[in-house]
Amino acid sequence: MMLGPVSWILLAPLIGAALLVCVPSEQVRWVRRIAATATGIPLLLALSLIFRYDPVAAGYQWVDRIPWIPSFGIDYHVGVDGISVVLVLLHAFCAFTGVLVSYRISQRVKEYAIFYLLLIGGVFGVFTSMDLFFFYLFYEMAVIPMFPLIGIWGSKKDRDYATMKLTLYLTAGAVMALIGLLTLYTLSPVKTFDLIALREAFLRQPLPPATQWFLFPFLLFGFGVIAPMWPFHSWSPLGHAAAPSAVSMLHAGVLMKLGSYAILRIALPLMPAGAVDWLPWVAGLACMNILYGGFVAMAQKDAKFVIGYSSSSHMGYVLLGIACLSAIGLNGAVLLMFAHGIMTALAFAAVGHVYDQTHTRILSDWGGLIRQVPFIGVAFAAAALASAGLPGFANFAAELLVFFGAWESYRWAAVAAVFGIVTTAFYMLRAVRTGFYGPLNPKWTGLKDATPFEKIPYLILITVLLVVGCWPQSLLTLIQSGTGPILEIIQQASVGVLP
Amino acid sequence: MNPGFVIPTGWSALLPELALTGLIGLILIGDVLLKEEAGKILSGIAVAGLAAVGFLVAAQWDQPARTVLAGMFRMDMLAVFFKGIFTIAALTTVLIARQTPALIRRGLGEFYLLILTATLGMFLTASAGNLLMLFVALEMITISFYVMVSYHQEERSLEAGLKYLVLGSIASGLFLYGLAFLFGTTGTADLTEMAAVIQGGLTESPMLVLGLFLVLSSILFKSACVPFQLWAPDVYQGAPTPAVAFLSVGSKAAGFVVALRLLIELLLPLGGVWIPVVVFLSGATILAGNLGAIPQSNIKRLFGYSTIGHGGYLLIGIAAGSFLGTQAILFYLAAYAFTNLAAFLVITAFSKTTGSDEIRDYAGLSRRSPFLAAMFFLALLSLAGVPPLAGFFGKFLLILSAVDAGHGVLAGIGAIAVVISLYYYLMIVKTMYADEPADPSPVPVPTTLRIMLWICAAGMLGLGLIQKPLVNWAAAAAQTLF
Repeated sequence: MMLGPVSWILLAPLIGAALLVCVPSEQVRWVRRIAATATGIPLLLALSLIFRYDPVAAGYQWVDRIPWIPSFGIDYHVGVDGISVVLVLLHAFCAFTGVLVSYRISQRVKEYAIFYLLLIGGVFGVFTSMDLFFFYLFYEMAVIPMFPLIGIWGSKKDRDYATMKLTLYLTAGAVMALIGLLTLYTLSPVKTFDLIALREAFLRQPLPPATQWFLFPFLLFGFGVIAPMWPFHSWSPLGHAAAPSAVSMLHAGVLMKLGSYAILRIALPLMPAGAVDWLPWVAGLACMNILYGGFVAMAQKDAKFVIGYSSSSHMGYVLLGIACLSAIGLNGAVLLMFAHGIMTALAFAAVGHVYDQTHTRILSDWGGLIRQVPFIGVAFAAAALASAGLPGFANFAAELLVFFGAWESYRWAAVAAVFGIVTTAFYMLRAVRTGFYGPLNPKWTGLKDATPFEKIPYLILITVLLVVGCWPQSLLTLIQSGTGPILEIIQQASVGVLP
Repeated sequence: MNPGFVIPTGWSALLPELALTGLIGLILIGDVLLKEEAGKILSGIAVAGLAAVGFLVAAQWDQPARTVLAGMFRMDMLAVFFKGIFTIAALTTVLIARQTPALIRRGLGEFYLLILTATLGMFLTASAGNLLMLFVALEMITISFYVMVSYHQEERSLEAGLKYLVLGSIASGLFLYGLAFLFGTTGTADLTEMAAVIQGGLTESPMLVLGLFLVLSSILFKSACVPFQLWAPDVYQGAPTPAVAFLSVGSKAAGFVVALRLLIELLLPLGGVWIPVVVFLSGATILAGNLGAIPQSNIKRLFGYSTIGHGGYLLIGIAAGSFLGTQAILFYLAAYAFTNLAAFLVITAFSKTTGSDEIRDYAGLSRRSPFLAAMFFLALLSLAGVPPLAGFFGKFLLILSAVDAGHGVLAGIGAIAVVISLYYYLMIVKTMYADEPADPSPVPVPTTLRIMLWICAAGMLGLGLIQKPLVNWAAAAAQTLF
């Protein structure tokens, strides 16, 4: 049977990993070439999908379906809708630029590339799966390679603790969600793991509101751990800080989006009444994310911790957008996932470039680096400005939508969340100032700027941020076609619940 | 299917057992005749013989169930499924024994013999149609293991052997005592007739309940479950590695075939009495095994605890008391066989070169032998239940069966224990991959072990990715009970 482009996006990194097992580990050049090809192909395919996706027809497109375990209603079933096509593109960008950034890795390159490609394949799987079993399988597959990636190639100081904490937190979240998924399966009248079939079955015959109220938190908090929802966020800044740059890029850029994606994709449409009950609480937690993350980031001296806490703060906006349960909020949330992913990847790549040469990430130790590494300095400043919400960058458009959504749904949350912008501006601009401006620390006069080849990933990421920032409608049309059906289900349920 | 090849009914059901008995005789005589090079030749005979037995077992798949020897021996799909697992375990154990230096010094012939007698006991356990047959078969397993466990004749091994002997004898006594009550209340020792009597409405008898719990205790001992799990860590640490490998896969599977035969097939009408107990014990076993494994520094002792945890997971399937639970147990056992055998193959290869079973000596294994480290990594992840490996789908089915049976808390414990087990398994991974080796010399892997490891890896990945065939086989075997 012929596989469509979505399957190839997902298979390319996995095939690459399998190929790498057979390549001798001395052949570093070949290892890198294979890794770049295995992530380049998905990027090209993802770009072609984003242009060819038909938002009028909406729904899942390029669907592949192979019966896998018929007796349990498990199918290999992949495809992309308006939301996943955007996130697949985000992941493809982060994965490909991550491989280019990883060219700096010189130790045990082959093992690194294998784990890295497995991680990438797992994430593509999560974004494209239409079957809950495979969704979970890929989800765990995306989490586990983080352990060796951080444990072996991470920064020595805190990697042991950070990588174990990250793996255990994420697995704990995953198994909690698994219990929820299995319960949904046993309660469903259709006995299938197929997301579409389950959604239709629960539309025709909704679960009792009390059951939904009980089950929703399993998925909400289970997947919320990776989102990372306050107070389950503490694994995340640590993990960012300890991970090698390319892994931080993927981790903050894409992995954290899996949580909000899963809530949006599975929890909301399958348990709409539960969502209506629980999401106001999520709005509160999201505000905690935004403010707590923001304030903690302000106190950080380490560049990676600044971005790490900033990420958990900004993921609060995504959760807030989802909690709005309105078109504008959901669209903003998905667009922000995209924009924030590209932005953090850019920031972590820049920090990694400096760290690899200075071996310190303490901002006050850097000082005046812009004169030594002007390109990297500009890239970092671009990321900082994007993060602070400068118009012209994609983040601005996305955060604005979330604010509009929050203003309609939870006015208090919108008011609280606005302060997050202030903190972001504070810590991001301060990071740029202390790290890259001011008098040059004489220790760093030997620092090398990016070579033309090394500039490629930065240029790609900045271009994406600007293009989407100037023309957000390009992605929003697609996103809208994906969030629309979810909202319809929610609206039907709220009509059913409210007298 | 093929009319030209008609298997005569009756004794043909016993073909694998007869072949195995013949093999035992051959090894026994061979051990006496070939003094000098006994090890190599006998292991060749044992492997070839077991492979032949494996084919005979496979040939019985899909044949109609039948009973021979006046109800003593039942040939059905469930028995065949288990015999497949036993054969794989025995075959691997023989190959592991061949590579264990401490055993080679002591003479291997007898050890092969013991592996085979234990295997025969397991085969008969899976096929027992009568309480007496069941008892005799179980004793055959246990007595073989008494000798295997203390084979080293050094303090630790003897201590382990003695511990296993004393506790095992008590368990056998309990079992026999329990059987007496079952026989007394139902008036028959034949399992099929007994099932008819119990289904006929004999569920209130307190004597039957007493018998049930005595039998249950013995099953819990066999499969190292709470509250009879204490022997496992000591025995695992002290006994020779092949004995441990066989104990952890073969003996555990044998315990569960008895559990399926007695609790699910026979005593399910009394489920109201024993299911709550098993639910509790299952959760306790999972926690005891996985929490106990955390502080261990000896790899075999750690496996002693982790194997308790796996026993607890398997009990989930019993506690579910359903077709799905049985299917899950069968899948899990097959997946567990490949996975645990892979782990013990690595332990054997490692200790053959380094002479150590301490976890800290595994430091930097990924540089000393990338192959061994990668295989151990796969095995550990599969044991923890990480997709896309076989162990994941086994746990998935077991937890699904618990949710399906309404044991939400038990499912939760099972899920949380995945996280706990991941901690200590990943600590080993970290030692192998991230730590610096004290001695960077390479660790060679003997060819037979290498081949077996590839087979186990194929099993772990194959069963984890393409689950359908095994799911269907497990369903066919579970159908026997329902």
